[in-house]
Amino acid sequence: MGSTEERVVAVIMVGGPTKGTRFRPLSLNIPKPLFPLAGQAMVHHPISACKKIPNLAQIYLVGFYEEREFALFVSSVSNELRVPVRYLREDKPHGSAGGLYNFRDLIMEDNPSHIVLLNCDVCCSFPLPEMLEAHRRYGGMGTILVIKVSPESAYQFGELVADPDTNELLHYTEKPETFVSDRINCGVYIFTPDIFTAIQGVSTQRKDRATLRRVSSFEALQPANRSLPTDYVRLDQDILSPLAGKKHLYVYETKDFWEQIKSPGMSLRSSGLYLAQFRFTSPHLLASGDGTKNATISGDVYIHPSAKVHPTAKIGPNVSISANARIGAGVRLVSCIILDDVEIKENAVVIHAIVGWKSSIGRWSRVQASGDYNAKLGVTILGESVIVEDEVVVINSIVLPNKTLNVSVQEEIIL
Amino acid sequence: MKALILVGGFGTRLRPLTLSVPKPLVEFANKPMILHQIEALKAIGVTEVVLAINYQPEVMLNFLKEFETKLGIKITCSQETEPLGTAGPLALARDNLVDDSGEPFFVLNSDVISEYPLQEMIDFHKSHGGEASILVTKVDEPSKYGVVVMEESTGQVERFVEKPKVFVGNKINAGIYLLNPSVLDQIELRPTSIEKEVFPNIAAEKKLYAMVLPGFWMDIGQPRDYITGLRLYLDSLKKKSSPKLAFGPHIIGNVLVDESAKIGEGCLIGPDVAIGSGCIVESGVRLSRCTIMRGVRVKKHACISSSIIGWHSTVGQWARVENMTILGEDVHVCDEIYSNGGVVLPHKEIKSSILNPEIVM
Repeated sequence: MGSTEERVVAVIMVGGPTKGTRFRPLSLNIPKPLFPLAGQAMVHHPISACKKIPNLAQIYLVGFYEEREFALFVSSVSNELRVPVRYLREDKPHGSAGGLYNFRDLIMEDNPSHIVLLNCDVCCSFPLPEMLEAHRRYGGMGTILVIKVSPESAYQFGELVADPDTNELLHYTEKPETFVSDRINCGVYIFTPDIFTAIQGVSTQRKDRATLRRVSSFEALQPANRSLPTDYVRLDQDILSPLAGKKHLYVYETKDFWEQIKSPGMSLRSSGLYLAQFRFTSPHLLASGDGTKNATISGDVYIHPSAKVHPTAKIGPNVSISANARIGAGVRLVSCIILDDVEIKENAVVIHAIVGWKSSIGRWSRVQASGDYNAKLGVTILGESVIVEDEVVVINSIVLPNKTLNVSVQEEIIL
Repeated sequence: MKALILVGGFGTRLRPLTLSVPKPLVEFANKPMILHQIEALKAIGVTEVVLAINYQPEVMLNFLKEFETKLGIKITCSQETEPLGTAGPLALARDNLVDDSGEPFFVLNSDVISEYPLQEMIDFHKSHGGEASILVTKVDEPSKYGVVVMEESTGQVERFVEKPKVFVGNKINAGIYLLNPSVLDQIELRPTSIEKEVFPNIAAEKKLYAMVLPGFWMDIGQPRDYITGLRLYLDSLKKKSSPKLAFGPHIIGNVLVDESAKIGEGCLIGPDVAIGSGCIVESGVRLSRCTIMRGVRVKKHACISSSIIGWHSTVGQWARVENMTILGEDVHVCDEIYSNGGVVLPHKEIKSSILNPEIVM
């Protein structure tokens, strides 16, 4: 079993500001990893999950944002969860594996026996202690979390084929054009420190090829690795694919929920999944009420302690209300995220939307969308400080910060 | 003499450009919008300009220090903590605008460009002896605006009519005013509209006079009008035989090219084009009716028309960009791409053609 010597270090990749523009317009005001899902920052969820790992020594957040954007959060979460969290800024892109390699000295400082690598923009139950146990049983270099998806949607991800008895990874392809498998890569991994040797191997191989290109013009014409710098190593194409079938890598399958959080619409869906999870793991976080002393609550709802909700309002299912929000009399909220300092006036209705910080929703106004999380305008997004005047209707639209809507709009992006 | 420039809000109509830079600092004809006005004010002897702002004061303040020294004029900021409308900011800046001299002060709207006949306006103000003077401009479709109904010979203003349904006149408020300090006594420090509350009162007392703006006028607060405004501005430069206009075999019509920009062989530039500092226009490029901001690279054989290309963007080889395409800062249009009215937010790469006007976030 795990001895007291076996420390674990977790690394969470958080990305950067110019990398994912798909999270706009919300990412215009806040780094995506800090956007709240079910009342907690997106990155807070994997951090809490890491805390369940025995002998967790350190958590590193690795990304391209400025240090100051994470300073407050890192200090507050370290305090709250009593676990050392540190933000490390990558100076230039190294690829998903290269980034890990770049900080290997820091990671190895605690002499960990295992390294957990997670992507921040993944909504998941993060079954890390069970995965770690499975990894120890397999005895390989790495274990990948996988989930079964519908065959039609598998092409968007990394598809894996594993041996059903030994769970060994036999084959891995990133976003294939033809169907390979309905098991996909969840973006959660456990490695032993020899992963660094494997990553270094890729760099060296690339360096040798670069040298070869200088002497042989034929090599120079090979398209495969032509433009990648030697220290740019991608986890999927450069490590997982080549090592599949060589008894180094294994899979662990989760049957719980899993979603990629790339767009604002998906953040609403993910918030709902985490709220549903709270019902089992932290029911004290969810709100309750029946319309007498507190507002009527239906389904899973999170309300920040400083938010004020009128008792005649009806909230839920899948609603998350952030700090200092004010929800007026007779308001109906369904499937939405209400951010800090929002004011929703009497009798307004919000369905399938995200209402940005400091916005104001007028009396009898209606902010709604179809609720199709994958459609571009499937969830209505109001940016920071948007004013929707009384009785105005906003449907399937995205409104950038600091706008005032005094006429109704449908299917529009308002800059 | 003193002046106030109403800078105000977030410039949302000029997005995506204003997502990178506050609106007054967005360049127009290769010069920050607000600098056109500050220079015109300095030229007629204004010694202090107050900017009434409510957004990003830090960025503005840095810019101002630089121009205070360069121009030798005092520039201060008056920051609204809540939006005060079009008249409230004057009350807020009262102490800066009024001194013992009793001289009138100018009020300008930051979105407006024109020839700024400020000296003529001072003379007009002295001659009628009223309390306030406003510039008006003649437009084709007055119902879109606030019309100023005035007595033609004296210029005395009778009344304002907002978006009139029948024809009452074709002169609209051009957003440039010269006011006696006594006007400030009528403005409270609260959200107030100068057109709806203050001016109608002064007009009722028969103390408000309007002068018709000679020359061009444009509100360049949104992309379509910005592009039209550039044409009018360059036209007026031409009438004054300004040496700033470019000439050469590859230039058609009125074109402004910053001296640090490089233009390749076989290009055809113009009419109505402004090319900012540090731009590189490679060979075989066609540019017409467009603004190319600082640091842009336009690659070979590309064709850009009726568009605005944001700072440090690139337009790929053989790309065709037209019909009110607005590229924000650091946008890269790949080779051979076609953009028909794409409005692209900063830091994007356009890898597939935009066939119909669309916002790309």
